[in-house]
Amino acid sequence: MTKKELKKYFDILEISPEATLMEIRSAYSRLKKLYSTDSVVISPIEDEFSIEERQKILEQIEDAYTKLMEQVKESQDRLVHHERPFAAGHNTMEGEEASISYSGQVLRQIREKMGIELFEVSLDTKIRVELLENIEQERFDDLPPEVYLKGHIINYANYLLLDSQKAAADYIARYRAWEKANKEEK
Amino acid sequence: MSSVIAEKEGKIWAVGGGKGGTGKTFLASSIGIYLAKSEKRVILIDVDIGGANLHSLLGISRPKKCLTNFFETGTSLSRLAVKTGIENMSLITGDVHSLASDNIRFTQKLKLFRHIMKLNKQYVIIDLGGGSHNNTIDTFLMADKKIAVLEPEIIAIENMYHFVKNALFRKIRMSLRSYGFKEIVEHMWEQREKYQIKSLKELIDSLKDSFSYIGDILDRELADFRIYLVLNKIRSSQDILIGSSMKSIFNKYLGIDAKFVGYIEYDDVVWRSIRERRPLMLNYSLSRVAKEIGVFTENLLYEREMKISRI
Repeated sequence: MTKKELKKYFDILEISPEATLMEIRSAYSRLKKLYSTDSVVISPIEDEFSIEERQKILEQIEDAYTKLMEQVKESQDRLVHHERPFAAGHNTMEGEEASISYSGQVLRQIREKMGIELFEVSLDTKIRVELLENIEQERFDDLPPEVYLKGHIINYANYLLLDSQKAAADYIARYRAWEKANKEEK
Repeated sequence: MSSVIAEKEGKIWAVGGGKGGTGKTFLASSIGIYLAKSEKRVILIDVDIGGANLHSLLGISRPKKCLTNFFETGTSLSRLAVKTGIENMSLITGDVHSLASDNIRFTQKLKLFRHIMKLNKQYVIIDLGGGSHNNTIDTFLMADKKIAVLEPEIIAIENMYHFVKNALFRKIRMSLRSYGFKEIVEHMWEQREKYQIKSLKELIDSLKDSFSYIGDILDRELADFRIYLVLNKIRSSQDILIGSSMKSIFNKYLGIDAKFVGYIEYDDVVWRSIRERRPLMLNYSLSRVAKEIGVFTENLLYEREMKISRI
């Protein structure tokens, strides 16, 4: 996608190219709502505004959002599979360098790379900021039981546009490993 | 607060927006008090014809001198200004009885605007009142900052849209008239079906397409036509989205820039302060409403916009 195309999509969603993922999402849902429902704001321009036109605008919005999300996904795939920014210097993934595994740290790095703050995640996913922090820091002691935890991980991974099933499986595996080690200690 | 960033020029602010009862007078007085408390010199001008009541909100009696004296005997504006009991802030009031809006001739109006512009050492906050009368619109157009107050309900939304649309159309006509192109605009607008023009934006676009010199004029004249939206009496966070949506509509259908600078939540404290005839900004300075007024006044000062994602 060229820069010009990207700019066009951002323009359609009425946001700047520096917008965070959260801003892209809220702009999309706001505009979609504005033009698809009988919003009170539309009423003064009803006579200037045919149904076909409204349909066209909605299509543009949909298209812009899809394209931008594809772009985000693409840059994430690059991040996860090629750049491997987490491979060197960190020992959290011993022996797993070939295929990325979603640890708390990986989730945090992906989030930071996307320029999203924890509180923004929290607003959208309704997961408390402290809990998100504990997930990212892998403070397993402070995490809820596995069944709940799995739901949160899927939720969070979905928000980051990741493969949520794999993320949950990876993370829960780490959680179980910790649990096991903990028991053995005792 | 952000004194590092230079305040943008433009100290004449007009508060309007079409519908009556949205809180224009309350907002104008509150903005004025906020600025005065920030040690800026402020003159409030009440041109709310037929409903000049800014003085009541400030808790002072109706001033004896008013704008009528300016028109009839040429008393200077600074001599008409009366004390408000608030440091740094004075008030010039319109007169309900003789200042019937039709009585003001065009030349008188221009003279008033000229004199208002000379007050530029201080902030001039103009309370426009409701309606879309030409005098109201012209005063709105003269202002450096065009503040439009809106309530999240359908009548206020429609009135504001038409108010801004009228203002924009008048601005286009006036701008082109001084270059001798007034007929072209009026012709195109009257024949808009033939030219397939459905909105003002399309009118502007097709004027620009057909006559490049008109495009240059409009670009120049409309460059600073910007609406500053304030949403009053909101009752839910969903209401806040109306501000952003208005901005989208202004942009798409009128082709103009709008900044959504802030909102005020519905609160009985406003009603209480008006009943007590003591300004909210003084008597309830710690209330949420007072804080919200502070936030959008700062946004107005520094040309900032409300951050939607931080709701």
